[in-house]
Amino acid sequence: MRGIKVLERILATIPIMVGIAVIIFIFIRAVPGDPVDLMMGEGGYVSEEEMEAMRKAFNLDKPVHVQLYLFLTQTLRGDLGESFLKQVPVTDLILDTLPATIELALGALVFAVLVGVPVGVISAVKQNSLVDRVSMAGSFVGISFPHFWLGIIGILIFSVTLQWLPTNGRLDSGLSIEHITGLYVIDSLLLGDLELFWNSFHHLILPSATLGAAVAAMIARVMRSSMLEILRQDYVMLARAKGLSEYRVIVRHALRNALIPTVTVVGLQTGVLLGGNMVVETVFGWPGVGRMVVQSIYARDYPVVQGAVMLYAFTFVIANLIVDILYTYLNPKIEL
Amino acid sequence: MTDSSLGTANEHQIVNPYLLELRLLTRNALHLWGQLRRHPTALLGLIVIILYVVSAIAAPFIAPYDPTEQNLMARNKPPFWAEGGSLDHILGTDQLGRDLLSRIIYGGRVSILVGLLATGFSVLVGALLGSLAGYFRGRLDDIVSRFADLLMAFPFLIFAIGVMSMLGPGFSNLIFALSFKGWVEFFRLVRGEMLVEKTKEYVEAARAVGRSDLAIIFSEIAPNIFHTVLVLATLRVGHMIVLEASLSFLGLGIPPEIPAWGSMVAGGRVQLLVAYWISTFPGLALALLVLSINLLGEGLRDILDPRLKLQ
Amino acid sequence: MNARNWRILALLLAVLLLTGLLAVGCTPAQEEETPGEEEQQQEQAGEEVSEPELETLRFVLDTESFRELEAQAIAQQLRDLGIDVQVKVWEWSALKAKIKEGERLAYLTDWGSAFFDPFDLGVPKLRTGDRGNYSFYSNPEFDELMVTAITTADEDVRRDAYFRAQEILKEDAPWVFGYYMKAVEASSVDVQNWEPSMDSRINLHDVSLASGDTIVVGMATDSILSLDPASSYRDRETETVIRNMFDGLVTRTHDGKVVPELAESWDISEDGLTYTFKLRDGVYFHNGDQLDADDVVFTFEKILGLGAFADTEGTSRAGLIRPSGVELTVEKVDEMTVRFTFSKPFPVFLQGLVHQQIVPRDYYLEVGEEGFGKAPVGTGPFKFVSGKLDDQIVLERFDDYYGGSPDLPPVGPAPIKRAIFKMVPEPATRIAGLKAGELGIVQAIPPDLIASLEADENIVVKYVEGTRNYALELNNAKPPFDDIRVRKALNYAINWELILDEIYGGLATRLATAFLPSGFGYNPDVEPYPYDPERAKELLKEAGYATK
Repeated sequence: MRGIKVLERILATIPIMVGIAVIIFIFIRAVPGDPVDLMMGEGGYVSEEEMEAMRKAFNLDKPVHVQLYLFLTQTLRGDLGESFLKQVPVTDLILDTLPATIELALGALVFAVLVGVPVGVISAVKQNSLVDRVSMAGSFVGISFPHFWLGIIGILIFSVTLQWLPTNGRLDSGLSIEHITGLYVIDSLLLGDLELFWNSFHHLILPSATLGAAVAAMIARVMRSSMLEILRQDYVMLARAKGLSEYRVIVRHALRNALIPTVTVVGLQTGVLLGGNMVVETVFGWPGVGRMVVQSIYARDYPVVQGAVMLYAFTFVIANLIVDILYTYLNPKIEL
Repeated sequence: MTDSSLGTANEHQIVNPYLLELRLLTRNALHLWGQLRRHPTALLGLIVIILYVVSAIAAPFIAPYDPTEQNLMARNKPPFWAEGGSLDHILGTDQLGRDLLSRIIYGGRVSILVGLLATGFSVLVGALLGSLAGYFRGRLDDIVSRFADLLMAFPFLIFAIGVMSMLGPGFSNLIFALSFKGWVEFFRLVRGEMLVEKTKEYVEAARAVGRSDLAIIFSEIAPNIFHTVLVLATLRVGHMIVLEASLSFLGLGIPPEIPAWGSMVAGGRVQLLVAYWISTFPGLALALLVLSINLLGEGLRDILDPRLKLQ
Repeated sequence: MNARNWRILALLLAVLLLTGLLAVGCTPAQEEETPGEEEQQQEQAGEEVSEPELETLRFVLDTESFRELEAQAIAQQLRDLGIDVQVKVWEWSALKAKIKEGERLAYLTDWGSAFFDPFDLGVPKLRTGDRGNYSFYSNPEFDELMVTAITTADEDVRRDAYFRAQEILKEDAPWVFGYYMKAVEASSVDVQNWEPSMDSRINLHDVSLASGDTIVVGMATDSILSLDPASSYRDRETETVIRNMFDGLVTRTHDGKVVPELAESWDISEDGLTYTFKLRDGVYFHNGDQLDADDVVFTFEKILGLGAFADTEGTSRAGLIRPSGVELTVEKVDEMTVRFTFSKPFPVFLQGLVHQQIVPRDYYLEVGEEGFGKAPVGTGPFKFVSGKLDDQIVLERFDDYYGGSPDLPPVGPAPIKRAIFKMVPEPATRIAGLKAGELGIVQAIPPDLIASLEADENIVVKYVEGTRNYALELNNAKPPFDDIRVRKALNYAINWELILDEIYGGLATRLATAFLPSGFGYNPDVEPYPYDPERAKELLKEAGYATK
C-alpha cells in the first residue's frame, strides 16, 4: 500500500519538472538582456549583422513558442543544449560542477546535524542553564549574519591569522584527483590516498561550516523547542516516573519524536543549502553549479540557466520526497 | 480548553459580539502582560524590541548625524576605542565617511520593515492556504501543494536576480521578491501540522457538537499550531533581512541612499580586511534584534502553552 | 482561553506591522518619477510664459554595484547644487538592455579599448546608432572623421581626424566625461621579473621565482570561457590563460608596443591593404608538429568564417581582426609566409592581431573543436596539463619552447616549471590567499585594500595604466539631457578630483573626452572640463532649472 503511494508521489514529480522547465524557459527570457550583445564584449568592432547571424545560430531569432517547443523536445531526448558562452554541452558543464556542489551541500548538512542536534538536545535538557543561553545566543549569530560575512571572517581567522585552513578551492593548487564519484573526500578514500583525503577534507571544512551554520542554528532551535515540548508530555513523565534513566528517556523516547519537526526543517533547508551555495561558492572559489548559474544568468546564457535550474528543482523535489517518506516512517499516523 | 472556546461561542449569541470581543481583548491583554512581567527573558526580549522600534521612529532625534551626510575626507574611520578613532564617530565611519552609528539607527527603520513586511505577507498567505489545504485536502490541496512544490523547487537567488532585473531596483520590488516564495514554507508547515491536529480527539469532539469546519480550523486548531508558526516566523524576520544582504552581495538590494542593515553588511565586505566595523556592527544590530524577537516569541509560547501550566 | 490569546497575538502583530509602516513613512521617498510625468510638468511650465518658474532638475543615476560609492558621491555633489538625484543599483545586463531601449536617463558605464587606438572607443560608443552608443549621440561630422580614421593608411591624416574628433566631443559634451584608472596587481616578493601589463594579460614566461618552481595566479573571475584561441570568447581573463599556452604572430610589451612573436618580420604594402608575415623557423607545437603557414591560415579561416569554414559565421573574435564591412582574405604564400589582404585599409590591424593565437591545423582537425578545448596544444611557453575552466588550469613548462618574442627578455624556455591559474572571484578571498601565501600573483585589487598590502613585507603591489574609459553617460535623445546646456552644466558640476582621490585612492585620472592618453591620436590640447559649480548653476538657470 505504502509502496504504491511512494510510486504515486514519484510520478507526481513529472508534471512539476515539466512545469519548472516551462517556467524557467519563459522566466529567463522575460528578464531583460541580450545574450549575443553580452557575448560580443567591447573592444574591437562588431556590426549589427554579425550579431543577427549569431542570434540565428542560437535559434534566438525564432518566435518564443517555437523556441519553447524546440527546447522541450530537445530536453525530452536528454539534450540540454549548448552553452552560448562556452560552446560546451550543458550536460557536460553540469556533470562537471555538480559533484562539487553536492560535496559542499552534504558537508554543510553533516556539519549542521552534528552541531545542531546535540546542541538542541543539551539546551533542552538543561533548559535555562548557561549552556542553553550561550548556545541559543550563538545560534542567532549563525542566523543573523549572511553567508559571505561568516565566510570572509572565517577566512580571516582560520586562514590568514591562524593559517589552519586554506582560503579557497577544493584541493591545494596543482593537486588533482581521479574522478570516481566526483566528491573528492570520498574519491580519495576509495583510492586509498590518505594524503589527498586530508587535503580535500581540509578544504571542505570552512565552506561547509559557513554554509551549514545557519542550518545548524535552525536545527538547534527547532530541536530544543520540540524536545522541551516532548519532555513535558505525559508518556515521558511516565517513563521518568517509572525510574528509567535520564539517558534512556531522552534517547529512546524523546529524541525520536523530537526528530520529526527537525527532519521537516532539514528538508526545507535543502533549498537554503542549494540556494545559499551560490554565495558560498563565490567566496571560497568553489567550482560548483551555484557559481556557474549566477555567472550564466548575468551573461544570459539561457541553456545553462535552464539546465541548472531544472537540476536544482529535481534535487529539491527528490529531497522533499525523501523527507515525506521519512515523515511517515517517524509518524505512521500521517498519510503521504 | 475546548470548553472555554465553546463558552465563547455561546456568549457570542447573547451579547453584542464586538463589544464582548473588545472587553475580552483588554482583559486578556492585561492578563498576558501580567504573565509576561513574570517571565524575565521574554520581558527582556520585549524591552529590546521596544527600544529598537523607538529608536527607529525617533531616529532623527537620536542619531548624532544625518545618515546620508558624506565626508570623503573621513572615510573608513575606526570606532572610538580603536587606534585612530575618535568620539566624533562612536562606531566609526563607512566607505563614504558617513557616521556608522547614525546609519545603523536609521537602518533599523528599513530593515525592521523589510523583515516584518516580507514575513507578514508570507505568514498570512502561507498559513491561510496551509490550514485550508491541510484541513479539507482534496483538489485545493493538490493544486496549491503542487504549486508550492514548484515554487520551492525554484532556487531563490535565481528568482530574485530575475525579478529584480525585470522590475528594476526598488523597495517594493524587493519586498515582492523576498516574500513571493516565503509563504511556501509556512504553507507546508501549517498544512503538516493541520494533518496531525485534525486527527486528534478535541477536533473530533468539536465536530460532534456540530461546529462548522471553519470554526474548527480557526478557533480550535489554529491556537494549537500557533506557537509553531510563531517560532518559525520569528526566525524568518531575521532571515529576510539577511536575504536582503545576500541580494546586496549580488548587487541588487535596497536603493543605496536608504541605509539598511543588509546592504550595509554586504557593502562593507571588501573592506572587512581593513575596516571590519562597516560590515560587522550592522550585522550585530541585526543579530540582537533577531535574538530579542525570539526570546519574546519563546516566552509567549511558554505562557500560552497550556501544557506548561501542568508542571 | 487559547483562542482569545491567539487573537491578542494577532493584534500584537498588527501593532508591530503598523509601527513598521510608520517607520517607513519617515524614510525618504525613493520612487522615481516617470519620464512622461516630467515631460508633462515641463509642458505646464512652458505654458506660463509670463513668469517662467524654475523647476528642479530631477533624474535617477543608474549604476552597477561596483561603482555604487562613486554614484552616491556624485549624487551628493549634485544635490548640493539643487539637483535632485537618486541612485539606483542594477544588474549590468538588465541595465544595459534598458539603456539600449532608451528608457534610462543617466548611467555610469565603462568601456575597454583593446587597440591602443581610439577607434574602438570612438566608433562603438559614439558613432550614430552604433552598438555601444548608449548616449544616443549623433554628429555627422564626428561619424565622418571616424570613418577617415579607421580606413586611411596615412598616420597624419588619421591623427588630424582624431584630434578634431576630440574637439567636437568636448564641445558637444554628450557624456559627463569621467576618468581612466590604474590597474592594481600584487605578487608575493618571491615573484621576480613580473610587470603587470596594460592589456591586463599576465605573461608568465618571463617570470622567475626566488624559491620553488610553481606559481599560482588568482584570477578575478568565476570561470574562464575557453582554452581554444580559435573559438568564441571575449574576455581578458581567458586571454591571459590562453596567451601562456599559445603564441600569436605578434605580441605586445607591457606598455603597449607591438613586437614580433611567431612572425619573424612583416611587410605592409604602400596602400596599407596587404600584410605579409614571414614566420619564425623551428617553432614547434606541444605535440611536436612544426608551425607553418597552413596553421596560421587555418586559424584565421576558422575565426573569420573563410575557406573550409565558409559556411560558418566565424567566431566572436573576428571583430578584433577586421571591422565588419571590410573584406579580409588570408592566403599561404609559401611554407613560411602568410599574406592578409584587406579591401580597405585597417591601420590598427597589428594591435588586434596581438589577441589572436595560432592553433595547429592537423591536430585540430584530428581531435575536433570539442576535443581541442579539452586538450589544447599550442606553441606557447607552457603546455596544458589538466584543469577545469571554473576551477584551476594547471600548466607545465614546454621545454622545447623556441624562446618567445626577442623583444621580451629573457628568451628561452620559461624559468618556472609549473603555472597554475586559479579562479578566485571574491576580492577578499584573493587578497587573503595572497596574504596566506597560497597565491603568487593576483589582479583587480580594490583601492581600499592597497594600504594593507603595501604594509605587508611579503607582498609587492604594482600599478599599470588602464585601458578602460569610465564615464557618466547621458541620454541625449530625451529631456532633460537633449539640452546641451544641462549636459555641460553637469560636466562643470562634479568635483572629480575629490571623488577620484578619496574613493579611488588617487589611482584614477580625469579624462577630457572619451579618448585615452595611451591611445594613438590623443589630443593633449583638449583639457577636461574644470570643476566650476558657479558656471554649472548659470548653465542650469539658462536651461530653466532652479539651483541652490
